[in-house]
Amino acid sequence: MNRSLALLLGLAAIVVIAVLPVWIGPFYTRVAQLFFFSAALAIAWNILGGFSGYWSFGHTVFIGMGAFAAAHFVTQIGPIGSGPFSMVLPILFAGLLCGLFALVIAYPILRLRGIYFAIAMLGVGQVIGELVNNIRWFQGGVGVFLAAPAPGGMPPEDFFYYIFAALLVACLIISVVVRNSRFGYALLAVREDEDTAMMLGVATERYKILAFVLSATLVGILGAVYGYSVGYFTTYTVFRLDFSLNMIVFCLIGGIGTLFGPVIGTAVMLFLTQVLLSRFLDIHLLITGALVVAIILLVPGGILGALKQKFAGRAAVRKSVEA
Amino acid sequence: MLFLQTTLNGLVLGGIYSLAAVGFSLVFGVLGIVNLTHGIFVVAGAYAAMVLYAKLGMDPLLAMLPIGALLFAVGYAYQRTVIQWAISRASLVASLVVTFGVAMIGRNLLQLVFGPDTHTITPSYSFSSLTFGPLQIDVVRLVALGASLVLLVLLALILLKTHFGRAIRATAQQPLAAQLSGLNVRNLHGLTFGLGAALAGTSGAIIGIVQPFSAASEVAWTLNAFIVVVLGGIGSPAGALVGGLLLGLINAYTAQYIGPSLTQAAMFLVLVVMLMVRPNGLLGNAFGESR
Repeated sequence: MNRSLALLLGLAAIVVIAVLPVWIGPFYTRVAQLFFFSAALAIAWNILGGFSGYWSFGHTVFIGMGAFAAAHFVTQIGPIGSGPFSMVLPILFAGLLCGLFALVIAYPILRLRGIYFAIAMLGVGQVIGELVNNIRWFQGGVGVFLAAPAPGGMPPEDFFYYIFAALLVACLIISVVVRNSRFGYALLAVREDEDTAMMLGVATERYKILAFVLSATLVGILGAVYGYSVGYFTTYTVFRLDFSLNMIVFCLIGGIGTLFGPVIGTAVMLFLTQVLLSRFLDIHLLITGALVVAIILLVPGGILGALKQKFAGRAAVRKSVEA
Repeated sequence: MLFLQTTLNGLVLGGIYSLAAVGFSLVFGVLGIVNLTHGIFVVAGAYAAMVLYAKLGMDPLLAMLPIGALLFAVGYAYQRTVIQWAISRASLVASLVVTFGVAMIGRNLLQLVFGPDTHTITPSYSFSSLTFGPLQIDVVRLVALGASLVLLVLLALILLKTHFGRAIRATAQQPLAAQLSGLNVRNLHGLTFGLGAALAGTSGAIIGIVQPFSAASEVAWTLNAFIVVVLGGIGSPAGALVGGLLLGLINAYTAQYIGPSLTQAAMFLVLVVMLMVRPNGLLGNAFGESR
């Protein structure tokens, strides 16, 4: 019953997503595209930060690295394949590079915990960003082009809408699979009590590195596609502190460490900032900050955490009444 | 000679970094909170000094007193309400997020009031400089360094010699034991936080006359404070001084010998390496013995 219901809901969602751009017009297609992109980023962040409790404050490094990797792959090697398929290899290369980079820095940097890990990642993001900006070969200062090969007749915003929708679904599936596997439980054990988990024989080091690499690869792929979707970018288009922070804030508002919390948090925040309050650009920061503070003070578990608590409380009451 | 001049510049800059970071360090050491609002306190101090100078003609160095008092009150109230609530309802890590949220609000408010542009304070002595043989130093920077050192020494004396300082140190080492000995730990936490905010605000007044500032530069000041603490050590004026001077030197040498656009990268590189090698800083955690 439950499974077929989920399947039905999934199918309905796919149909709605497929026909939506026709209904809502170019502007809201762009907003929806931003939503898919941001939610996918939040999910990728959540695999490391939510499941294993290692909060990275510098995940934008992988967006930037992915975008620049794809651009330089195209200029150095040239587009391989034709039409939209010429994007495949550069994007895969970007994901691979980000994964490799994560693998290299994982061992030393994952020895740090809590706030120290968070700040060290922030540092990694800043250092790589500055290097890309200042070493001439990368052309971060002047910017690079990455033309989007949308199929003929299709508006680019529709094209990237579908690509980001597909990526969001892929990230969601990966996240669900990870969460329900031995790997996922190991990450949760690391979050709850790393030393005890290690003592009980969980290979914490290996699982942590794996989560870090997986998260980095996904963000790298998303970064490369983002690079394609903007077409031209400099260092500060893609190495952006607010990307890093948004991933955290969206997860926090939806519910950190939950499966669908990142998606819900992204939806709520983007609806508030892009749709409801889009005319008050100069107080965006204030609203975001106030929401973050309110969430922490009122519902520390995020929206999903609050709902869960409410239903659990109701169930408990019912049980006590029955007894 | 260029090397000596660079070193001098670095040390002077480092003195200011030290003062800007010592409040952050104290709060981190005593309360265990990474206060991401710290940069806001610094920038707010600079703006306050600017307003006092423009409206009342008050010298920024004199303005340090009212600014310190004001930010002390703000810091105390802030800790006793928002931060205390966050810690009791969620966790110590939650305080990180809450202070981050408040920093966003603060930055937006400052931008709304003063606009997004960069400002400077220019008192009468801001363009004169002294020469020692071949070396040259701006008077403002010398004054800033002197004020920083005086304040750091004062803080060290307070922590070491007074009853208040002993109470703070006791609270930091063992909150429970301190409470059992009759200290009001909650109140002391608030006072320590207030002291940290006051020091940040006064450093802001000094920074205002030495460097341009804007609401957006609060991020840089929070990060600088963090780097200083990681370099020097947590919780002590001496640690802040060592870390600040080191950061100043790194900054000056990088700008001189590698390239001025790479100072940020160099600072963070040192930070990341330092975190991996010795996360408690060169002088260690001043209150760490019993934790």
